[in-house]
Amino acid sequence: MQDVTQARYLASGATFADAASVQARPRVFGASALRGSALLLVLLGIWLFFYFATDGTFLTQRNLVLLALQSSIVSLAAISAVMLIVSRNFDLSVGSAVALVGVVVAVLTVKWNVPVPLAVLASLAVGLMMGAWQGLWVTKLGVSSFIVTLAGMLYFRGLSMIITNGETVAPVPASLKGFATGFLPPAWSAVLIIACLAIYSLIQVRTALKAKRLEVIDSLAAPLMRTLPGAVVFGVAAIWLASWQGIPFLILLVAACAITAETVMRATPFGAKLYALGGNPEAARLSGVDLNRVVFTNFLIAGFAYGVIGIALTARVSGAVAGSAGLFLELDAIAAAIIGGTALSGGKGRIFGAILGALLMGSLNNGMSLMNVPTFYQDTARGIVLLLAVAIDQYGRRRNALTRNSA
Amino acid sequence: MIGAGALTAEGPGHNAARQRGAALDIRGLTKRFPGVLAVDRLDLSVGEGEILALLGQNGAGKSTVIKALAGVYPHGGYDGDIRLGGQPHQPRSIAEAEAAGIVLVSQEIAVVHTLNLAENIFLNAEPTRYGFIDSALRLAGARQVLRDFGIGLDPRTPMSVLDLATQQLVVIARALSKNARVLILDEPTAALTDPEAQRLFEHLRALKQRGVSIIFVSHRLAEVFAIADRIAVMRDGRLSGVHATAQTSRDAIVSEMVGAVRSGAAGGLAVPERGATALEVRNLCVARKGDQPRRFVDDLSFSVARGEILGLFGLLGAGCAEAMLALFGAWQGRVKGHIFLGGKEITVKTPADAIKHGLGMVAQDRRDALILDHSIADNISVASLHTATERGFLDKPKLRRRVADLIGRVGIRAASMDAPVGSLSGGNQQKVQIARWLAADTRILLQVDPTRGVDVGARAEIHEIWRRLAEEGRTIVITSSEAEELVDVCQRVLVLRQGRVVAEVTGSQITEDRLLRAATGG
Repeated sequence: MQDVTQARYLASGATFADAASVQARPRVFGASALRGSALLLVLLGIWLFFYFATDGTFLTQRNLVLLALQSSIVSLAAISAVMLIVSRNFDLSVGSAVALVGVVVAVLTVKWNVPVPLAVLASLAVGLMMGAWQGLWVTKLGVSSFIVTLAGMLYFRGLSMIITNGETVAPVPASLKGFATGFLPPAWSAVLIIACLAIYSLIQVRTALKAKRLEVIDSLAAPLMRTLPGAVVFGVAAIWLASWQGIPFLILLVAACAITAETVMRATPFGAKLYALGGNPEAARLSGVDLNRVVFTNFLIAGFAYGVIGIALTARVSGAVAGSAGLFLELDAIAAAIIGGTALSGGKGRIFGAILGALLMGSLNNGMSLMNVPTFYQDTARGIVLLLAVAIDQYGRRRNALTRNSA
Repeated sequence: MIGAGALTAEGPGHNAARQRGAALDIRGLTKRFPGVLAVDRLDLSVGEGEILALLGQNGAGKSTVIKALAGVYPHGGYDGDIRLGGQPHQPRSIAEAEAAGIVLVSQEIAVVHTLNLAENIFLNAEPTRYGFIDSALRLAGARQVLRDFGIGLDPRTPMSVLDLATQQLVVIARALSKNARVLILDEPTAALTDPEAQRLFEHLRALKQRGVSIIFVSHRLAEVFAIADRIAVMRDGRLSGVHATAQTSRDAIVSEMVGAVRSGAAGGLAVPERGATALEVRNLCVARKGDQPRRFVDDLSFSVARGEILGLFGLLGAGCAEAMLALFGAWQGRVKGHIFLGGKEITVKTPADAIKHGLGMVAQDRRDALILDHSIADNISVASLHTATERGFLDKPKLRRRVADLIGRVGIRAASMDAPVGSLSGGNQQKVQIARWLAADTRILLQVDPTRGVDVGARAEIHEIWRRLAEEGRTIVITSSEAEELVDVCQRVLVLRQGRVVAEVTGSQITEDRLLRAATGG
């Protein structure tokens, strides 16, 4: 209520207080940057806690790689969840959709002996079609995505059970399984990481140079200092982790998806429209954004994610279990997105935040398992963490609104 | 619980009302926001049964004063002494202020559309028995409240079927059911048409007879002169004068608000040589979805030249805003007619179509047009993303350069282009909208009541921007709820009534008087 009146107050006209606040509040960090680093600190805190609680086992290379692998499926789902939530849509069907794609992959490879590459392509196509199907209901028929995907959650699961008659389809061919268990050798991993870092730095430098030339920034140092040191630290950590056995292919997949999605969100017109639409659909419409097209594309991307996740999950567990594959994945994905700073009200959210969110929840699972905490306690703890994360987010936003209004 | 006053709107103090004491007395009211002195040692009193108009530009401090009175700012957040009927008035909340007898009816009509009248009237004050709502008592109470205020409606009527004026009346009736001694109305006529406003005024006069004091905040001077006993003018947080309405004039009040003597009537601009026709509209008809017979715009035809500033003037409901929305493809109902751009017919079904053809629209409600929590840069860029891409990726430096240039060009005052648009003043927000269309290199700018709620200073700046844009050869079509604004900026004005053009006025012929007469049919 308070927020609404404040928003109206802000919107209703020129007030002296507002004018003053603009001058009084230089924005050194974007709110999201600040939040992102706060989340990073929380994650490090949790890691330190588990480090001591497990006598150092938690922070070994082996365990961290395992942790990343355990979080990989949720991370992939969280990427898609962020994109949808930013545009004010929900996807409750991802768990069931993933199970259905998994069934398709497994049936094609195990029962029909279709070659793996062909089965993978077919499964991706099935995923895309599922996304398009849901997107049509949302855009053409105007049914809320909450309902469309709630229904999808039921019938995708139902279809997977019908197709397999509730039986496990396994084992998938070794080449598929190898994708989930294989590693890029350490040397190649280091080369890849350094190459990515180099490309990233190059892009940053180029952008900064152009910005300097166009006189939108005063010095090159400020923007580069904000991005490059973090990237170097990240790269060194990644090389250290990869020096154990290399990078798992599954983690490469997560990284590729995350980087692509972040680039699409941050650096393409489509991403800008997605944020605009989520921030205020009417304003986006009046600015010429074709809302239906953007939302439909968004669901297509979600459909592609069904394909990717379904294949990855099936490869990882070496078969399809229609009844339990991807169970509660939608909730974990939404939780990861929210912990990562995505606003349920839309218009705000970062892919990397959601990955951190997924890692945070994965860390709780992994750490508590190492400490031999019973499963029931683990669920309880994760629930409380989610609640705290959202509460802190709301608190921060309210404070923001207040200072914006009266400071 | 039915409030004691709910059923006895004549209430205590009814007789005393005739004795014209000061119902409300404010001494030395001072309210500070960090860095700003919003209200500075204000002394003001309101008599019983008096209607006091409180005027001032945006930012003059009116809102702060009424918010302090109504308990929006809790007691202690400001200095000074407020007395209500001689007793100290120190509300810590809106509820406390209402209990003491000061009720604020805010600008936005706050009703719950899904509930009926009775439910709205007793919202959060439902009469209960044994902890359950007593609907019979609620219905009876609501009937009494409505009858008391002369609203002949069944309290079971759903709120959603009522027009805005009636909703407003119900809100006021509800306020009075709380036994209000002082009623504060913040721009109560902003959403009303003229006859609707007249109805409201009749009710206000009746209340005055009963001894209710009314503080009336409005931008519409004609109204103020029609209804107020006294006029208080605020400027920069201070009271700059209080006048008996009969002994002052509009000009005097305006100069007091502005703080400088106003030059004589602008009397329109010289008509420049007419350029080539930029936009032509033929037989435009706009109606709601479905088969409703009422047309908002009925066979409207006009053309605008390059570099011309054309005004469309009409009272609310005359069809001006609807015509603009239809031209921009944003009307969500039925549209018929032809639009020609530089002689070629174009089809506009969505705003995207309109933008593609070089049209842009500055919307009246900034909450519709702007993404308030997103940055100035994002808001300016959103309609022109495709023109700043490099191989499919956004060219951020180029975008930011363009934004920086535009911020300078339209004079947006903000610390940074990354500040959220919601933190800007209304005038600066409208400049952001204009900048958005300049970023898209829009040739034809449609503006729907673009300076509503924008203070005089910013308004003058925005007018200056329009003139420059017109000189650059862009075409501007404006609707305004204030005739004065069109007089100041337009070379030609079409006056609409009931969706049809009833007058076309050009150049020095454009005067407020003329426009208003044509619009009202007077």
